[in-house]
Amino acid sequence: MQICSSCQKNPSTIVLMDLDGGSVSSQQHLCSPCAEKLGVVQPKTPLKLSADLLEDLLGSVQQKASQKRREPGCPGCGMTTQQFKNTGRLGCPRCYESFRDDLVPLLQRVHESSQHRGRLPGQLQAAPPPMLRASAPMEELVTLRKQLDDAVRGERYEEAASLRDALRRAEQRDAGGDAGENS
Amino acid sequence: MSKKRRGEPPEFRAGEWLKGDGPQNDIAICTRVRLARNLQGFRFSPRLEADEAKQLTEYVVQRLAAPGLPDELAVVDLPLLEEIERTVLVERHLISREQATSKKARSVAINAEESVALMVNEEDHLRLQVFQSGLSTEAAWKHAEQVDEALMQRLPLAYSEEFGFLTSCPTNTGTGMRLSVMLHLPGLVWAEEIEKATNTAQKIHLAVRGLYGEGSKALGDFYQVSNQVTLGRTEQQLQSDVQLAVSRVVQWEREVRDALLRGSARPRTLDRVHRALGTLERAQILSSEEALGCLSALRFGVHHGVVDGFDVAAINKALLLSQPAHLQRFTKERLEPEERDQRRAKLLREILGCEP
Ligand SMILES: [Zn+2]
Ligand SMILES: [Zn+2]
Repeated sequence: MQICSSCQKNPSTIVLMDLDGGSVSSQQHLCSPCAEKLGVVQPKTPLKLSADLLEDLLGSVQQKASQKRREPGCPGCGMTTQQFKNTGRLGCPRCYESFRDDLVPLLQRVHESSQHRGRLPGQLQAAPPPMLRASAPMEELVTLRKQLDDAVRGERYEEAASLRDALRRAEQRDAGGDAGENS
Repeated sequence: MSKKRRGEPPEFRAGEWLKGDGPQNDIAICTRVRLARNLQGFRFSPRLEADEAKQLTEYVVQRLAAPGLPDELAVVDLPLLEEIERTVLVERHLISREQATSKKARSVAINAEESVALMVNEEDHLRLQVFQSGLSTEAAWKHAEQVDEALMQRLPLAYSEEFGFLTSCPTNTGTGMRLSVMLHLPGLVWAEEIEKATNTAQKIHLAVRGLYGEGSKALGDFYQVSNQVTLGRTEQQLQSDVQLAVSRVVQWEREVRDALLRGSARPRTLDRVHRALGTLERAQILSSEEALGCLSALRFGVHHGVVDGFDVAAINKALLLSQPAHLQRFTKERLEPEERDQRRAKLLREILGCEP
């Protein structure tokens, strides 16, 4: 049995062939989750329904983080959460943000800490940590978005609708807070 | 019985490994700082395509050429080297075994004293190693810091305020620093206390591994002790942790050695050293493992005045040159294992000056 060449884990169910002048110039074996992720095949969920609902449910959210949310992989290197969990290795520097939620407990386990205290490249050492103030509400937003995404994928539309409302409230609060502090 | 030293073996300057000086050099051979660094804008090395690996390596090498590095580094393009020459670099601790056998574009930049080695495109884009003879964690760190500063000025390193230097494997994140001290611990091994020492070290988050040989089996009583944690502590904290812990191991080794040289334990200890010397002087066929064991015992004997006429630096050199790739390079031909063991026996007699 062939193993998926993308995740190197699942058995492949789809063979993708490049045709060159009528003959096969290369082929790739993929499992269906990876094929979906790469946009080779359509997801199994009822297409029309989920597309409409996604449109409605995600509305404003999508503008902010659409790429990231549709593909749960790292935007820097395409590594997926599953690949990270399987190998324990990261694909690129941006993976640290992409997989932050899984990474922090891992770092805690390995180092009994998840906060750097050593030196950093000189000129930047004095700069204030930019994420600090925004971090608490940011985390809430990220969690809500993730739950909403899960609910939509799982076709639990009622739950999704209430999560959407919660997310909108949180986003307004966040925007209001920022405006207040900046003025 | 007195031995006269023979002339120096004809190759190599003495790297920090071989000097046999530095603090506590009867037990601590060498201190090493390793810093893992990566560049922004590239995927981590294990995920680079062949052409990206080439691009990365060329970029780094070109940036290293800019003036003002604290050490003058010679760049070695590893794919151009013969396999045996790459293995020689592994045996000299200048590159890793993975770096030697990888198929991708990669380099190492080394100074003439072999106290600085910068691996390019290893598990991380950059792996800086700095060596200092003896137990010298502070001096080694100071030197590494200087080179690291120069790298920061030349290259856009990947880091975050939260996680520090970002590395391919999260076990190296933060400082990216692994500080190791290579120790010669025949006392603890012979007195069968080494396991206790290893367990104690692990309790305070230090890793203890054999210096020679694969896996957990340590050959020739040589061990390296290093920090496991790289995140959540400053470099100075890590450095003083390792310094303190290693000082304790050294102290322990010294006490055990004293006990081995006293009273009823003494004859057995002397027997061990003299048998080792006898083997080195007379054996015609010596495996790598047996050679390491004998050289270890001889090193111990020399430091404690059991035998004289031998130079510790020569013994360190013998330890290095009797490894397979050095041996074959030295004899300038590819050798079958049996021939290798014969040549090793002969070479050791020459280096130690026991050739009649
Ligand atoms: Zn797959
Ligand atoms: Zn990534």
